[in-house]
Formats: sequence, structure tokens, C-alpha cells
Amino acid sequence: MIWIGDVLVSHGDGGVYSERMLGKARVWDPFRSKLSALYHKGTGVEITKETRVLYLGAANGTTVSHVADYADVVYSVEFAPRPMQDLLEVARRRKNIVPIMADATRPEQYAPLVEMVDLIYQDVAQPDQATIAIRNSVFLRTGGHLILMLKTRSVDVRKEPDVVFQETVDALTSAGFVVQESIWLTPYHQDHAAIVCTKPEM
Amino acid sequence: MRSYWFGDVVDGQCTPSSGDAPAKAERVRSIRTSMDPFVPLTWETAVACGACRDRADYIARLREVCFAAADHDIRQQYSGKDAELLQMVRTLDEMDTVINLLTERAVEWFQLRHPTFTRKYRKTPAHILVKNIREKSRGALSFVAGEIERLSSTRTELAKAVSGRANDVMPNTSALIGGLVAARLMSNAGGLEDLSRMPASAIQVLGARTALFAHLRTKSPSPKHGIIFQHRRVHNAPRDCRGKVARVLAGKLAIAARIDHYRGVADPEFLESAQARIDLAGSVTGNVTDKTIENLAEKATDDVTGKENES
Repeated sequence: MIWIGDVLVSHGDGGVYSERMLGKARVWDPFRSKLSALYHKGTGVEITKETRVLYLGAANGTTVSHVADYADVVYSVEFAPRPMQDLLEVARRRKNIVPIMADATRPEQYAPLVEMVDLIYQDVAQPDQATIAIRNSVFLRTGGHLILMLKTRSVDVRKEPDVVFQETVDALTSAGFVVQESIWLTPYHQDHAAIVCTKPEM
Repeated sequence: MRSYWFGDVVDGQCTPSSGDAPAKAERVRSIRTSMDPFVPLTWETAVACGACRDRADYIARLREVCFAAADHDIRQQYSGKDAELLQMVRTLDEMDTVINLLTERAVEWFQLRHPTFTRKYRKTPAHILVKNIREKSRGALSFVAGEIERLSSTRTELAKAVSGRANDVMPNTSALIGGLVAARLMSNAGGLEDLSRMPASAIQVLGARTALFAHLRTKSPSPKHGIIFQHRRVHNAPRDCRGKVARVLAGKLAIAARIDHYRGVADPEFLESAQARIDLAGSVTGNVTDKTIENLAEKATDDVTGKENES
């Protein structure tokens, strides 16, 4: 990842969402993007020009644009039509984004489009987030990484965030993932946790 | 056989798919992929298939297909009859908020100029008050009051349009609860399809989110009604059977929404029996079993439907 002092940046055409620029570098704000927050916490997975990424819950393409600056290709899955309109515009100007309008809970819908990837990044507001990750892990090569941004409030508002967090970690572990790191994203984001896993050799 | 966006692979033999990007997108939509066991595609297969030259070409062509698919899907989702109604009713509710805010502010401003002015012991409706402010003031305040009046008349027009469109898009739901409230329910659910998939108990408390979650978190009582309270049959019902009316009404609304979504036309037979059942819930108080309700229902149906037809 590219740092200028303690500011995380990415190299690419600016003006996607009126982000701040440092010279020609685009500032990647940890308060806006959970993935940036994860890197600011001093962890995360290195994305390089060889990395193929499957991005679940691409939304308006804000974080996607930064990931695309680093990665080889980003398969961006988004379900809702409104954010998809924005994502398409971002994808039109970044040739390594493949926008896919589909439901991340049903990977069979976009299986004919997606190749094996090195990294799955998941940021969806759904109750069954671990299940979504497990279903999509068929696209992940062995040794590849999964970064799951857990919105504990989307899972179950009645449960304590810690409980939801632990349950998700357990579900991923029992599905064969090796949890490398699990970390809360405070102070950047409230009630959000990041879980970084690897897919081991079978 | 394995089907991918660029073609079909059978025993290592690949047949590329024909047609332009929209045609390929259409084909992808029809592919049923088995996930067990699942073999992800590789771009090398596509090259071997003759679908593209190299990796860059592969991505470029794949993007064309994905763009075509997304364009098609977005268009389809927006073409639903409920899509525009949703925006209309949300605009309406936001206009209400804005009009109320501005009116309050204008009154405070007016009070400053007329220190003796007070709203206590008066029943001046807000729109008359705004009219008075416009007439009795000069300069900017008068303009603002005039603007609020114009906004209000736009709001009235919009409300009519919402009602009319709701009657068209969701005839059964609108017949039970009125176009405006029906549209609000639909907006809160997120669309007609979402509303039609909701259980009656969820429809009953749509719009009572805060109360519902307060109930789930703590020991506070559950909400009896949400948006459907706006309907006269709920808010005019005596306190002790309001919950019951809301429950019965929500039950019928759930059915109505399903008829609206899947059939799209009014069902007079259903509406008649539903109206009778809802009115009955409001007229019977105290503890009654289903049996007594049924008995009463048979007796009541005739005169109740008669009443409905008059009004």
C-alpha cells in the first residue's frame, strides 16, 4: 500500500467523489472507507498489480475506485439499482472494474462471469454475512484472502456487537477459513469489525 | 457441459457464444450454474475458445457484457409501475416536513415583528396563518410566506397525483386503506414486491420502527400500529379495540398487496369480504372467540356491505 506520511493514498484519476488530492495521489479517507480504516489500523492484505479482487457490496464505487487503483481487476458485485448507476459511471472510467449487478447471496447468478480471485472483499448490509462469504469462497484460490467487513448492526440489532462478531468468526472457522486477524474499526467506524481470513490448502 | 459468458465447454471442446454484448448478457441470465462441484472459468479457456485475443481483450469484452446486463437490469427495475409512485410519495412526505419547518420559522419571525401576537386560544389553521403573515408583512417575510403557500398548493396537487397513481398501481390496497396511506406503506416497505412479501404482522407495524425496536430491546409494550394508524378505521376505533382493528386490517392488506403485485387488478369479491371483516373488528368489543366473530360476520355482512356501497 502507498503511504505519504501517515496518509493512505492510491494512484489514479481523481475526482471520483471529490476526494482530496496530494499532488497526483488520491487520498483514501479511513472515515469514509472501511477498507482504508483497516489499513490505518496497521493491518489488512496487500493489494498489488497482480491481485484479482471479488468485491461484494460495491455500492457507489467509492472504495472500489481505490481498490481498482491498486489491483489487476475488480469484479464488483452490487444488487441495488441506484448505487449501481454510480458504480457503472466509475467503472466506465476505470477499465479494470467489471461491474456485476447481482445478489451476493446467490453466487450461481454471476458464476459464468467471475474467474478465480486472490482476494474477496465483502462489505454487505445483510444478516447472514458469514454464509455469503462461505458461498462465495468457491471463487477464492487456495491461499487467497477474505476480508469481511462485519456490520454487526445489520446482523441483529438485539444482540451485542461482540456476540455477533464471535458468532461470525466461529462460522468462518468451521467452514474451513483460517482467521488471521479480527479487529474493531474504532475510532473510524462504530460497531464495525473487520475479519481477515485465508483459505488454506484442502 | 459448463456454460460461461463467452461460450459452452464440453469435454474440453469450446463453442463460443454468438451475438453482441446484449445478446451475450441475455444468455448469461439463462445459464443455470451448478455450484457443486463448481469449476471457475479461466480467461485462458476464453482465448482457446476464440472469444478473445489476450487477457486485456478478455476483460474488455467481459466488461461490455456486464455493462449491457446491468443497463438492462436497471431499466427493468425502474420500469416497474411502483418505481415512480415511490419517488412521488417520498417527495410528498419530505414536502410536508419542509412546509412545517418553514411555517414554524415564519411564525417565529412574524412574532418578532408583532410582539403581541400569540397562537394561544386560537384555532387558526396553519395555511390561514401563513396567508395572514404574507398579507400583514412586507419585504422578505412576505415573500417567504408566499413561497410557503405556493409549496402547499404544489403539495396538494402532488397528494392528488399520489392517490390517483396508487389507485392505479395498487387498486386493492388503495381500496382498503386509501391511496395515500397505501402508497406510504409501499414506500416504507421499499416497493410493491417487498410489501407483497411481508407478513401481515410486519405490515401492521410498518412505520413504527422506533417503537418496535424499543420493544425488542427492552420490556416496553409492542406497537399496535404504524402507518396504518393514519387510516380512519384505525384512529377512529375505540382505544380498546384499536390494536385488533389494526391487526385485522393488516391481515387483509397483506392479501391485497399480493393481489396487487401478482394480478394487478381490483378483486371486488375479496374487497367486499375484507371490508366486512375489518368493519366487524371495529364494531365488536371485549373478548370474543373466532366462533362468535364468524357468527356475527354472517349476520353483519349484508348490512355492512350495503353501507360501504353507499359511501
